[in-house]
Amino acid sequence: MSLLKSFNSYDSRIVYLLLFLIVTIPLLSPMGLPISVSPSTVTYYEVIDALGPDDLVLVVLDTEFSGYMEIQSGIIASMRVMVERDAKMCVAVSHPEATGIPELVFAAIKNTVDEHGYTYGEDYVILGYVFPNEAAVASAAQDWQGVIHNDFYGQSTEGTFLDQIHDWSDWTLISDYTTGIQSGSLINHFGLRGTPMIVNCIGVMISTQMPYLSTGIYQALLQSMRGGAELEYLTGHPGPGMTAMDAFTLGHYMLIVLIIIGNIGYFGTKENSRRNVE
Amino acid sequence: MKSRELSLIAMFLSFLVVFVPYFIDVPALDTFSTKLITITAITVSFTLLLAIHSQFKRGFDFVRRKPRGWIFKVYMMITIVLMLLFALGGLETGPYHWAMYAIITPLSSVNYGILAFYLASTCARAFKARNTKSILLILTGFIMLLYQAPFTGAFFDLGPIGIYLANTFGLAAGRMFLISVTVGAMVFGIRILLGQEPGVLGIRSEE
Repeated sequence: MSLLKSFNSYDSRIVYLLLFLIVTIPLLSPMGLPISVSPSTVTYYEVIDALGPDDLVLVVLDTEFSGYMEIQSGIIASMRVMVERDAKMCVAVSHPEATGIPELVFAAIKNTVDEHGYTYGEDYVILGYVFPNEAAVASAAQDWQGVIHNDFYGQSTEGTFLDQIHDWSDWTLISDYTTGIQSGSLINHFGLRGTPMIVNCIGVMISTQMPYLSTGIYQALLQSMRGGAELEYLTGHPGPGMTAMDAFTLGHYMLIVLIIIGNIGYFGTKENSRRNVE
Repeated sequence: MKSRELSLIAMFLSFLVVFVPYFIDVPALDTFSTKLITITAITVSFTLLLAIHSQFKRGFDFVRRKPRGWIFKVYMMITIVLMLLFALGGLETGPYHWAMYAIITPLSSVNYGILAFYLASTCARAFKARNTKSILLILTGFIMLLYQAPFTGAFFDLGPIGIYLANTFGLAAGRMFLISVTVGAMVFGIRILLGQEPGVLGIRSEE
């Protein structure tokens, strides 16, 4: 009776402790559990794999640092592929915290950048916090040259590949890494006009982003950290995503076990209550 | 003419200037529309100053009354001033760079990471098979949790059923949510244009 009762109403601190152990132990000592690759990640990889030196990609870090922790594997893996394909990359951010992210990403892919001679100004430009609101996204979509003059470091963007950009139609691809800050604005002012978009979003956003995939506004959707890990696997560069997948898997299984235990307790105490009434 | 009418006329004209070029190609109007949007973007960015002003106004009031946790307001105001001063010294190196990577990054990450504990606890407690609907919900939840765990797919192919659930029930719910939000936004926009939401313009309804 007491065991069933404790199953039904256990102390939430037990869940916190279990989750803490299940997340930290595999991170400290990875087990290397095998993973599968979902079709959506394969489609995403095919889109970025097809990029070439003539392609202009607007990379939007549409996230805070908090969200970055969930999608960093997707960001790093995607940008590494773009560097390997020599695609031109313009990095814009839509949250003040995200201004610190490009430095972390380029530090993570430094070997690839050096190996390919990928140089600042010629191959990529970091703009910083240029998308603070929807009006800013709209004006950049309609008159890029009228809005963007300097990069994050205060240097003029004149003379870089950004000279080729005049409006939304000049981008080959928009690659949005999002917790939902300006993704709607990018859809409204770029995606719906016809600029191809790919998105890597956090887990809780997946269901609300699926309609954009099915209607063709998104060419591909990379789903959360799991998608990032799968992309790392496909590109052959293990990183933070694959490291976290053991904890990711065990966390999911732990939830299933806890739900089963909770239901055993629920039905056990319910049955005992019924008997006591009779 | 009252300020209410003037505000509504200005807003309606601004709406037309931005809205019409989507349907009628008039280069001059298109240029004007783009300029107006850019001016709006810059003006809206300056509302950050208003936010700082409001934070300090509320913060000082809070500190004067000294309720529980007032010291955190002091901390917040000091950090705002420090970050402004740090930013003047450069973004790539120095104190701003240090604060960004040594303080903001870990704090923001911890703030987000803590959510996982609450989510796990709530999920484990809330899913009780009380009736047929909740049993179906739990079964769907189990399938999706197993499907989302990368290890499962290496041994059992839950892909077809996972994708089916995501592309039917999940997609339908997602579409319903998006359509509701969009229709709601359109109705709200029309109400604003008709002057039925004066609060948006900062006008009290009795004016």
